[in-house]
Amino acid sequence: MTALYFNTTREDHRIAWLAALAITLHIVESALPSPIPGVKPGLANIITIIALIQFGWSTAAWVNLLRVLVGSVLIGSFLSPTFILSLAGALSSILVLRLASWLPGRGFGPIGYSVLAALAHMAGQFYTAYLLFIPHAALFHLLPVLMTAAVIFGIISGYIAHLILGYGSRPLAH
Amino acid sequence: MTRADRVVVILAVALLPFLYMTYWGPSQQGDALRVMVNGKETMTVSLHADKHITVHGSLGDSVIDVDQGKARFISSPCRGKQCVHTGWLGQGGEFAACLPNRVSIAVIAEEQRYDSIVF
Repeated sequence: MTALYFNTTREDHRIAWLAALAITLHIVESALPSPIPGVKPGLANIITIIALIQFGWSTAAWVNLLRVLVGSVLIGSFLSPTFILSLAGALSSILVLRLASWLPGRGFGPIGYSVLAALAHMAGQFYTAYLLFIPHAALFHLLPVLMTAAVIFGIISGYIAHLILGYGSRPLAH
Repeated sequence: MTRADRVVVILAVALLPFLYMTYWGPSQQGDALRVMVNGKETMTVSLHADKHITVHGSLGDSVIDVDQGKARFISSPCRGKQCVHTGWLGQGGEFAACLPNRVSIAVIAEEQRYDSIVF
C-alpha cells in the first residue's frame, strides 16, 4: 500500500486551523433559530478578521471560502440556495476587505474591517437573493432590517476580534 | 479604533435611517385611476380632474367619483356594496372592486403601496 503525502507549509496548517475554527462557529450558528431569514450573528466573521489582521488577506480569503464550502457540506446545504447566498456573501466581504486593506496610513482596525465585511456580506447576499431567487421589489422592504442587523453584528464581531487580538488593554477610542 | 474605523462605524450607522426612510417611508400619492371591467382595462383617468365616471358592468352601471386626487365607488348595482364601503383610494396600488358587477378600480403611481392583492 502506498501512502500519499502532501507537502504542506506552515501557511497551509495555519489556514486549516483557522478554517476549522470558522467552520465550527458556522455550524454552531446554523443551529440557532433566526427571527428573520438572513439575520445571523455571523460569528465566523471574527475568524476572518483575525486572519486578515494577523496573516494577511490571502489567508483570510482562504479561511472564508473554506468555511463556506466545508460548512455547507457538513450542514448538508452544499449547492442549495443557502449555499449560493452564503458564497455570494463571503465573496463580497472578501472583495471589500481586499479594497479596505489597501487603505494607506494606519488603515482599519478589527472593528472597521468587521463592519465593512458584515455590510458587504449582507449586500452581496441580498442582491444575489434578489437577482436569482426572489426578483420582486417587495424584498427591498427587508433591506433596512437586514442592514441594521449587519451593522450591529459587525460591531459586536469586530469588538470580539479586538479583544481576541489582545487589543483589549488598549482604550477603544485612541 | 483607528480613525478609519470610526468613519466606517459612523457612516454605517448613518446609512440606516436613510434606508428606513427610503424603503419604509410613506408611499406615493396616486396620479391616475385605472378602471377595469371583466378583467380588461377600459380606461385610465387622471386623479387630478374631478368628475363622476359611469362604468357599464355585467349587472348595470357603477358610478365612480374622482375628487381631489382620490377616487371611490359611489354606487354599484350589487348587493353587498363592498366596493362602496372600501371608501376613498388615493395612494399608489390601492384598489377597490365590485366583483358582482365585475368592475374594479386601482390607483396608479410610480411606487405602489401594495404589490399584489388576491381575493
